[in-house]
Amino acid sequence: MIRRRLVLLGAAVIAAACVEDLTTPGVCPDYCPSNQITIADTVLTNSISRDSAFRGYVLANQAGALLATFDSGVVEGRPIFRVNGLGSRARISGSDTTTGPILGADSSRLHLFITRYDTTARNLTLRFFRLPITIDSTTTFASVAGPFTDSLVKRVNVDSLLALPGRKNSVTGDSVVSVDTVNHQIVLSLKFDSAAARYVPNDSGTVAFGIRLSADAPTSLQIANGLIQGAALQWYIRVDSLSVPVARTPISLVAPFQSFVVDPAPPPIDSTLAVGGVPSARSILRVTLPRFLRDSSLIIRGTLVLVPAVPASGAPSDSFVVEAHTVVADLGAKSPIAVDATRTDTTIIHIGATDTVRIEVTNLLQFWAADSLQPTSLVLRAKYEATSLAEVRFYPSKAAAFRPTLAVTFVRRYPFGAR
Amino acid sequence: MTAAGRFVGWTVRRAALAALLVTVYPPHRLYAQDSQFGVRGLGTPGRYESVRARSTGGAFAPFDPLSLLTEAPLADIPVLTATAMEAASYRDVDVGGTTSTLRNTRFPLLNVGGRVGPRLALAAGFTTYLDKSWDVSERDSAVLRGALQRYTDELSSDGSVADLRLAAASRLTRRIAIGAGIHLLSGSTRQTATRRFDDTTFHTVQQVAEVTYSGLGFSGSILIGVARGLSLSGWARSDNRLRAKVADTTSALTDLPRGFGGGVLIAPSPSVKIGGSFAWRSWSRTGPGSFDTWSWAGGAEIGSGRMPVRFGVRGGQLPFGPGTQAPTEFAAAAGTGRTFAQGRASMDLGLERLERRGTGLTERVWTVLLGITVRP
Repeated sequence: MIRRRLVLLGAAVIAAACVEDLTTPGVCPDYCPSNQITIADTVLTNSISRDSAFRGYVLANQAGALLATFDSGVVEGRPIFRVNGLGSRARISGSDTTTGPILGADSSRLHLFITRYDTTARNLTLRFFRLPITIDSTTTFASVAGPFTDSLVKRVNVDSLLALPGRKNSVTGDSVVSVDTVNHQIVLSLKFDSAAARYVPNDSGTVAFGIRLSADAPTSLQIANGLIQGAALQWYIRVDSLSVPVARTPISLVAPFQSFVVDPAPPPIDSTLAVGGVPSARSILRVTLPRFLRDSSLIIRGTLVLVPAVPASGAPSDSFVVEAHTVVADLGAKSPIAVDATRTDTTIIHIGATDTVRIEVTNLLQFWAADSLQPTSLVLRAKYEATSLAEVRFYPSKAAAFRPTLAVTFVRRYPFGAR
Repeated sequence: MTAAGRFVGWTVRRAALAALLVTVYPPHRLYAQDSQFGVRGLGTPGRYESVRARSTGGAFAPFDPLSLLTEAPLADIPVLTATAMEAASYRDVDVGGTTSTLRNTRFPLLNVGGRVGPRLALAAGFTTYLDKSWDVSERDSAVLRGALQRYTDELSSDGSVADLRLAAASRLTRRIAIGAGIHLLSGSTRQTATRRFDDTTFHTVQQVAEVTYSGLGFSGSILIGVARGLSLSGWARSDNRLRAKVADTTSALTDLPRGFGGGVLIAPSPSVKIGGSFAWRSWSRTGPGSFDTWSWAGGAEIGSGRMPVRFGVRGGQLPFGPGTQAPTEFAAAAGTGRTFAQGRASMDLGLERLERRGTGLTERVWTVLLGITVRP
């Protein structure tokens, strides 16, 4: 009897257990709410004003990569770097601190991390030139044109090296340490003999090199910059130990100065909105959002429409990503940009293109609409500044026929509660 | 104590706990049975009936002191009594050739009443006035920026308007009892409007709002014992307007219906009761797309004491729908009940099969009803 009651009670509880599934396909308008979501499109032609461009945000030596380009004299980028030496003396033994004068180097080995290269390029060749050790961030293409002409110390055909068994050239001592075919990256280990890499004790062993790129067709590549993945030189030196030369292998030295020089230099900033180039240029645009967009609408798509004033310039086969950022505060050229991914929109620009550029700026507009205290200024910049010669220039707001505009798609407030 | 005695004690304790839990639930969590017919209108009207009354198709509602339809039967409530019910619905919606299976669980009624004097009884409780829970998904397209963009809209509402009734009843003579009630309409819905584009370049937009509702109504009823075993009941009700507010701003003000109804209850023997009822409500006052409604019910309860059998049918019209004719509904219900603890607690079970028909839409619903009544 009790068991039967329990079974009955359990069945009732199970049958009446909390469940919820209310979604049905709507057959409108008969069985849908009388109000619908209303969507609208508009083009804001006069909402962008007080726009201007500035250059010099990231210099070549501050870039994340060194750019080497080969374009048959049209545009050329040449990486340069300096490796500080060990000094005039080195420790004779690892077990004590006694040092002896460095007599010279038998050879050295340069580790080079190519972070991007054109896989379609043929006869991709790197030529190394010895440069004055005085190179620094003020060094220009012209100032090292001489050494780049008469101080060739080594030539490496990357294609040939990649094709060798084991990717190692037993004659020259060059080898490929690793190849990443997905990301198009190569790590090279290149042997410099005593003639190519002279250890000059009077210069404390400091050496500087420049790289020229050549191929069968115009191309470009990037070499890693920085203390971790940048160019590093391993010396194999001879140290005088009581008039007996002994071979020593000290620690590998990372190039503390790495940069690249470009010819021709980028044209000066004019009234157009320049983005990219080396040193990098940015453009700032002030946007006035209409009150109806800020207060009573939800933006679902916003597109910044920009008309190039000249074809996008840069190394052939290059493309580059232009980012639109909001600013934390509008301080003109020094406006700190918000690098938050949710407040950044991007587009890809191809070299030579003159098509109208459209950047989806939905994130930015939504951010501004949500917080009316934010400055409604946006900054255009290259995603990887100063790592590419690519530069694009857009018509500014003063060019009435081609001025930047905003295409906005928005949803009006749904009339909740209305019958 | 025997095992049976322990079970009875356990049942009473659980019943009391269930009643307490249902009592402390906020009113906007109380729902009646949803319907797609209410999506375009104000909502789906509640039924004001306890499980016992609903198991007879609603025929006994005008005579049931634990239902919230009329007040006069409260005059005969012997002791303090509390009741609550749960309804679990399994609904097939056939619309436009597509059938959707929906489910929901609701707690549509709570009522507590008792005698406060020789001739006066009071009751307080609430039931669903309008259920406003639905979720509609629709595919459509629009030309945006010169291209056809396909999207999915999802509009949903979750909540209800509750009818909080304070009622008083008095037996004037041996044959006549009267009652009156004041109805505070209160509730809220959480509404969302979402549009998702197939082209993700257009961001998904979701708007959410909390809509609150308020209103006021009055009702009165009379219960007449015509002869031994024959009773008549009549009631009338008038509600003013339903005010919808979003963020403290009135978004809609809707006239609410007036209504009247009555019933007859025949008890040829103590173990057989047969009843019938009808009701009319002027829902057309609420605006376009709504209709005045008639409804009727007939049912019986056979067997007295601890485990009677109840059954009944009802039919009528629904207040909201497309076209020029009101949608219709027909239901058959059956149930039983069981008392415990020397009549101090009872549990009622019911099962209802309902069919609603309107232009292009048919709903078929199975509803399991569970009611708990406690007389501490």
